[in-house]
Amino acid sequence: MLFSSISFMYYFLAAVLILYFAVPFKFKNLVLLVSSLFFYFYGEPIYTLLMLATTLSSYIHGLLIDRFRGRTLSKVFLWSSVITSLGALGFFKYSDFFIHNINNVTGSDISLLGLALPIGISFYTFQTMSYTIDVYRGDAKVQKSFVRLATYVALFPQLIAGPIVRYTTVEEDLSQRTHSFEKFSSGVTRFVIGLSKKVLIADTLGTLARTMHASDEASVVGYWLYAIAVSLQLYFDFSGYSDMAIGLGRIFGFRFLENFNYPFISKSIGEFWRRWHMSLGTWFRDYVYIPMGGNRVSVPRWLLNTLTVWFLTGFWHGADWTFILWGLYFALFLVLEKFWLNKFFAKIPRVFSHIYVCVLILISFVLFNANGMSGAIADIGSMFGAGGLPFWTSETGYYLGGYAVVLACAIFGATPALKTLVLKLKEHKTANMVLNVLEPIFVVGMLLIVTAYFVDGSFSPFLYFRF
Amino acid sequence: MNNKIKNIVVSAIFIVFMVVFVSMCVVAYFNPVETSESERRPLAQFPEEITWEGILDKTVIDEFEDYTVDQFPMREFFRSLKAKFQLKVLNLRENNGLTEVDGTIAKIEPDFNPDLIDYSVGRLEYVYNKYLADNGGDKFVAIVPDKNYFLGRDYGYPAPDYAGLVETVKERLPGMTYVDIFECLELSDYYRTDTHWSQDKIGAVVDKLAAEMGISDRLSGQYRENRLEGFKGVYYLQSALHPTPDTLVYLTNDVLDACTVYDYETQKTYGIYNFEKFEGNDGYDFFLSGTRALLRIDNPNATTDEELIIFRDSFGSSLTPLLVEGYKSIYVVDIRYVMPDMLGMMQIDFEGKDVLFLYSALVLNQKAFK
Repeated sequence: MLFSSISFMYYFLAAVLILYFAVPFKFKNLVLLVSSLFFYFYGEPIYTLLMLATTLSSYIHGLLIDRFRGRTLSKVFLWSSVITSLGALGFFKYSDFFIHNINNVTGSDISLLGLALPIGISFYTFQTMSYTIDVYRGDAKVQKSFVRLATYVALFPQLIAGPIVRYTTVEEDLSQRTHSFEKFSSGVTRFVIGLSKKVLIADTLGTLARTMHASDEASVVGYWLYAIAVSLQLYFDFSGYSDMAIGLGRIFGFRFLENFNYPFISKSIGEFWRRWHMSLGTWFRDYVYIPMGGNRVSVPRWLLNTLTVWFLTGFWHGADWTFILWGLYFALFLVLEKFWLNKFFAKIPRVFSHIYVCVLILISFVLFNANGMSGAIADIGSMFGAGGLPFWTSETGYYLGGYAVVLACAIFGATPALKTLVLKLKEHKTANMVLNVLEPIFVVGMLLIVTAYFVDGSFSPFLYFRF
Repeated sequence: MNNKIKNIVVSAIFIVFMVVFVSMCVVAYFNPVETSESERRPLAQFPEEITWEGILDKTVIDEFEDYTVDQFPMREFFRSLKAKFQLKVLNLRENNGLTEVDGTIAKIEPDFNPDLIDYSVGRLEYVYNKYLADNGGDKFVAIVPDKNYFLGRDYGYPAPDYAGLVETVKERLPGMTYVDIFECLELSDYYRTDTHWSQDKIGAVVDKLAAEMGISDRLSGQYRENRLEGFKGVYYLQSALHPTPDTLVYLTNDVLDACTVYDYETQKTYGIYNFEKFEGNDGYDFFLSGTRALLRIDNPNATTDEELIIFRDSFGSSLTPLLVEGYKSIYVVDIRYVMPDMLGMMQIDFEGKDVLFLYSALVLNQKAFK
C-alpha cells in the first residue's frame, strides 16, 4: 500500500487512527502490530510470513544472546542471527545477480530463480540485525515481548521505505510513550509536507526525467536537465517518504531520527553522505566501518575499510553492477577528498566546492538511474556531448520552460532557506501568530490538492520500494 | 493564535477532514457511480468476488485500489482542482496530456507511433489495391492535421513528424493525388473544446479539394450560417477546466436542404444534419448522424451524373456536405466500422468514380481501422 493513495489515506489510516486512539495503552502496540501486518499483507500477501519469520528469528536470537551473555555461545548466536538475516536478504534479493554473473563468467546455464523482491526487505533486515547486534553489545536490553519487537520491525510508517529505525531509538517508546495535541499536530503537518513533496514535486519531476530521457530530440542541455530532474526526484521522493514516516510516527507517539538534512548544500561528498539517507550511513558506520577499525588504522587498511563500506552501500541499493559502481564512485571521491581535494577546496571560494558536489551528485544519480552499465555509459556520455549530440534543441527549451516553476520550487526546497525563515519568524510573537493561523490552512489546502492528484490517478510507486 | 491552540486546531481540522471524507466514502459505497461522463468510461466498482485466491494473487487488491480512486466522492471537483493547480499554479503546460492555448484545448502528442501509422496506411493501401487501382476514376488523398500540428508550428510545442507522415502516405499510395490542406487551416478553425474543425471555417479546405478534384465550378460556396449554442466537445469535460462551451455553426442552402442521406446499416433515410444527435453524448454527431459504416448522400438537384466515394473519419462528416453540390451521389465509407473486405458486397460500384481518402492524423495514429 502506498502512502500516496486513497486506500491508505481514507481507508487504512482512518481505521487505524480510530482503533489506536480508542483502545487503552496496553493494547496500542497490538493495534499497531496487527494493522502493520495488514498493511504489509495488502502489498505482499505471501511475503508477510517471511517478515514474521525474520522477526521471530531475531526475537529468539536476542533471547539466546542475552541468555548466554559473556559466553562463547552468545557470539555464536549473534553470528547465527546475522547469517540468518543476511541469508534471507541474499537469497531473495541477490540470488539472480550471482547466478547471472556465474553464468557469464563460467559459461554455465544455471536457471534464474526469478523471485519477486519482498517489499522493504533491505530495511527490515537491517533493523533486525541492528537489534541483535545491539543486544550482543549491551547497547540495548533484550526485548522479552514478541509483540513489542514485532511492532518495532513491522511498524508501518517506516516498514517499506525507511528510515532504518534502530531498536535503541524506539526502545523506550515501545513500552511507554505519550500522546498529545503537540505531537499529533506536528505529525500531521510533517506527514502532509512529505506527501506534498512526493506527489507534487517528485512525481512531476519524474515525468520530466522520463520525457527527457526518451526524447527524440536529445541534447546536451537536455541530458543535464534529465540529471537535475532525476536527482531532485530521488531527493523529494525519498525525503518526502521519510517526512511521512516521521510524521506518522509522531502521531502514534514515536520519535524517529531525521533521515535527510538538505544534502544538496554540501561542500564535499563526505558531507553529502552525512546529510543523505543518514540512517543508512550511520548504520554502515556503526555496524561495518567502525568494527573494521574505522579510520584509526593504517592507510591501506583504511582504504580497504572505505572500499568495503561503499561497495556494500552500493550493493544494498540494488543487485546490479551499476549500484556497486555507484557506491565505489563515492568511495573514490571520499579518498580523493581525504588526501587532496579538501585541502584544495579550502583555499578557493566556497562556491566551487558546491559546484563540485552538485556536478558529482548529478552524475551519480544518472548512474544510479541507468538501465545497466551500457545505459549508464550512454547517459553520462550524452551529458558531455558524446555521439555528436547538439548542445540545445527547441524541445529542450520547451520542457525547460514548461517545468521552470517546479524546478525552481524543487531547487529552493532542497535548501534550508524556507526552514530558516520560518524559524526566524517564529522568534517574533506576531509573526508566530500569523504562521500558526497559516499552518492549518496549509494542511487542509495540501490535503485537498494531493487528494485531487490521487483521484486523477497521478500516483506512482515510491522509488525506494524495491530496495 | 498561540502554539497550544494552533496544535489543537491543526489536530481538529485534520480529524474533521478525515471524518468528512471517510463518511462520504461510506455513502459512496452504497451509491456507486456507474460511469464517468467526462472520461467516457465505466468507473471501477467494489470487487464483486472476494476470494483467498484473489487476495493472494492481488487481483482483489488491485480491483479495490481502482474502486477507491474511481468512486472517491466529488471526483469531478478534485479532477478540476488538480487540472487548475497543475496548469495555473505549477505552470505546467499540460494536464493528462491536454493543454490550453489561446482558450483552445488540445492534446499534446510529441510523436506518432510508427507501428500504428504503418498499420493505418497499410489498410488504406489495401483498400486502394483491392478496389481502386484500376477503377478508372480520379483518386485523391488528404490528411487532416490535429491541433497539435499548430501547437508545434505556431506555439513551440513538441509535435509529431507530420512531414514524415505525409511522405509515408505519398509513398504508399502513389496512384492517388495528395492534396495538401495543412496551409488552409489555423488552430482557430477548430472548436475550442473538441478535436474537430468547425464547418464554417473550412471553406479554404473545400476550395483546395474542389480545385484539385476539378469540381470548383459546380460548388456555389453560398451558404446560410446556422448556430447551435452550448456545444461541449470531447475536451470540455475531459480537461476538467470548465471552458466556455463552443457554438456549433452549420451551413445550409437549398441544395443541401434537398439532399437525403441513406444509411445502409439501418436502411433508413435521414437529412444531412441530425438535431437529436446534438443533444447526445457527442454533439459533433450532428453531422451525418455521426460515425456510420456506409452512407449515401443523394443530391436531387445535381447538375452532373458523377459520383464520389469518400473514405473518411468523423472530420469528413462536416466536410462532405460541402462537396455535395459537385456530385449526384456521394458514398461515405468509414472503415473503422466496416471491414474493407465487405465493401464489395455492399452495393458500391467503384468503376469510374472519383475517390477521396480524408483522414485525420489523430485516427491514423490509432489502430482504428478494421
